[in-house]
Amino acid sequence: MKPVIDLRFCKGCNICVYICPKKCYSKGTDLSDMGYFAAAVGAAEKCYNHRREGKMICELCILSCPDQAISWHPETEEELRK
Amino acid sequence: MELFEFYRQDRWPHVFCPGCGNGTVMNCFYRAFNELNLALDKTAFVGGIGCSSRIPLYINSDALHTTHGRAIAFATGLRLAKPELKIVVFTGDGDLGAIGGNHFINGCRRNVDMTVICINNNIYGMTGGQASITTPHEFLSTTTPYGNKEYPFDLAEIAVAAGANYVARWTTRHVHELTKSLKIALQKKGFAFVEVVSQCPTNFGRRNRMADPSQMLGWFKENSVRRDKTRRAAVDHVDLNLAGQVTVGEFVDRNRECYEELIGVEKHG
Amino acid sequence: MRIAPGEYFLQGNEACVEGAVAAGVRFFAGYPITPSTEIAEGLSHKLRGTDGVFLQMEDEIACISAAIGASWGGVKSMTATSGPGFSLMQESIGYAAMSETPVVIVDVQRGGPSTGQPTRAAQGDVMQTRYGSHGDYQVIAFAPSSVQEMFDLTIDSFNYSEKYRVPAFLLSDAEVGHMRGLLRVPKKLHIVDRKEMGMKRPDEAYDVPDDLVRPFPVFGKGHKVMVTGMTHTDGYRIEPEDAKVHQELVKRINEKILRNRKDINKWEIVAAGSKTMIVSYGASALGPKEIAATDERIGLLRLKSIWPLPEEPIAEVARECQQILVCEMNLGQLYYAIKRVALEAGCKKIELLGKVGGEPPTPSDVRHKLREMGAI
Repeated sequence: MKPVIDLRFCKGCNICVYICPKKCYSKGTDLSDMGYFAAAVGAAEKCYNHRREGKMICELCILSCPDQAISWHPETEEELRK
Repeated sequence: MELFEFYRQDRWPHVFCPGCGNGTVMNCFYRAFNELNLALDKTAFVGGIGCSSRIPLYINSDALHTTHGRAIAFATGLRLAKPELKIVVFTGDGDLGAIGGNHFINGCRRNVDMTVICINNNIYGMTGGQASITTPHEFLSTTTPYGNKEYPFDLAEIAVAAGANYVARWTTRHVHELTKSLKIALQKKGFAFVEVVSQCPTNFGRRNRMADPSQMLGWFKENSVRRDKTRRAAVDHVDLNLAGQVTVGEFVDRNRECYEELIGVEKHG
Repeated sequence: MRIAPGEYFLQGNEACVEGAVAAGVRFFAGYPITPSTEIAEGLSHKLRGTDGVFLQMEDEIACISAAIGASWGGVKSMTATSGPGFSLMQESIGYAAMSETPVVIVDVQRGGPSTGQPTRAAQGDVMQTRYGSHGDYQVIAFAPSSVQEMFDLTIDSFNYSEKYRVPAFLLSDAEVGHMRGLLRVPKKLHIVDRKEMGMKRPDEAYDVPDDLVRPFPVFGKGHKVMVTGMTHTDGYRIEPEDAKVHQELVKRINEKILRNRKDINKWEIVAAGSKTMIVSYGASALGPKEIAATDERIGLLRLKSIWPLPEEPIAEVARECQQILVCEMNLGQLYYAIKRVALEAGCKKIELLGKVGGEPPTPSDVRHKLREMGAI
């Protein structure tokens, strides 16, 4: 699974950038729906849950995100082929 | 249950500031509630007045948004009138410990079955950043422009002394431990109290050189000290100046009879 | 549990307890305060096990808050206090009005201001009942003047509170609360329950139109209701910034009471049509009643409900008589409200016998004032 940031909810607080032990997130330059500079998933392949199914581990980003903006999505076929 | 079955998606994005610790507590609470398979339609949520007290209004269940400081009193009436409802109270440091102090200590003493989550951001956030009863000594706020001359309360220790059945304190930096404590608190019979030291970057952090929520989280991590898990007594040298240390962990886990048992009212299953 | 039909010799406060139980109270939160403590003590005996819950709370604010919380759990709830406690409760009373919570508050009035005369009667909380909390709201208040009325009007307080989803007050005082007298309990009592959301009420005659009083959503029945003291829409969304939402809400919670005054108002007239009419309520009416019963020059309009102000009977009395004397145990509270109505109705002379100090106006006090007025 990979983390995906929901631009409807992200307020650009960048706690995910700070908290992720694998540095998967980075400060983004795109605007969210509300006009904040949303965070971005810089390196999903570094995540503990990269290509993992079933029970997720770590999840510090999901639990910490104050806006419920991060959720797990399965990797696309293309991403899996990489 | 999905996250947005538990929370009212039509109210998202919520009104809390970017980086507010409230959202973090909401995640941990949802996870604890969900992992226990509790029934949302058999749970009622009560809040006082303040940012954290608004959390009940975001949950897809019955919510009682009461007057400032009186959430525990309202919750006591609601719970004893309808004991089949599980009660969860969301409150803040000022709401609980200042104006609500009397209801807080008597709630612990009376030991009515409820879970009280106090999101302690060391400030009165909603009204713009006035000092609270947990604002650390010498810290700045809009009513302490020369530094807070008072010392803070230790809310968890007060709950222990007043008789709560379960008392724990974590910070929003300790999301996994917090989730675990919330699970224990939700299942605990009697008054269960979980204090979460949380960041208010807008009104506390910004005035005290920690405008970035990540700075506040770092500050929590540096300054929190785990209580010895085997000790049941209060820590002797708790440094009430939060700038020194805040003890986190479970303070007490006991089984005093809850009020419902004492008066013969049926409790929730 | 409920008092059996028959005749009893009881204290006023004891009769109030019996009335509350007969009305179906299942939650009482109280704090000891003279002269209302007997009500708490009586209900601590009655509300036990499956009969209900009695709580002695840490302060009066906790009492009214717990009673409101219990009401949302679906039960009839009540608290009892006196002046100092009543002052403490005002914020939550406003909350009950704004959130439209049925709850009964008994105020056994005593000498004030402040600690005042704890064991002596007064009627100094009359205006506070109406205007004690901030903002615009309406309440229903009854003023008993006998042991029988402590029973009857307690039941009425519950009935009207449930029917209109509003805090209702029983404004007793140290005299009526502590006097002993006859209570006749009839075989059949008229009890009203709140109209619950999702339930079809069996007796449509007691329904108030839905656009004024909304059906009550009890907690734990899947309504996902959000109760709040903030300005809110019908769908219970918080909308404090919306002027229109606020206007609609505040107007409705006032209108639901004002438009139903005829249903709520209760009064008694002795010797109607007399040249001089006394307007009084509660323990103050006891002395005037004796005079009105024996002297044909004097009549009495005894208000049994005082809020919303029974303007119609006051206006009618004002049109027919030459002068009005208002008797109350304060320095003039209901007096000014009555005076306004009477002046508008054409009566030119409205005087006040405002007696403080703890003793209700005696017949001799009233005669003295009437002589001054030239009425006798």
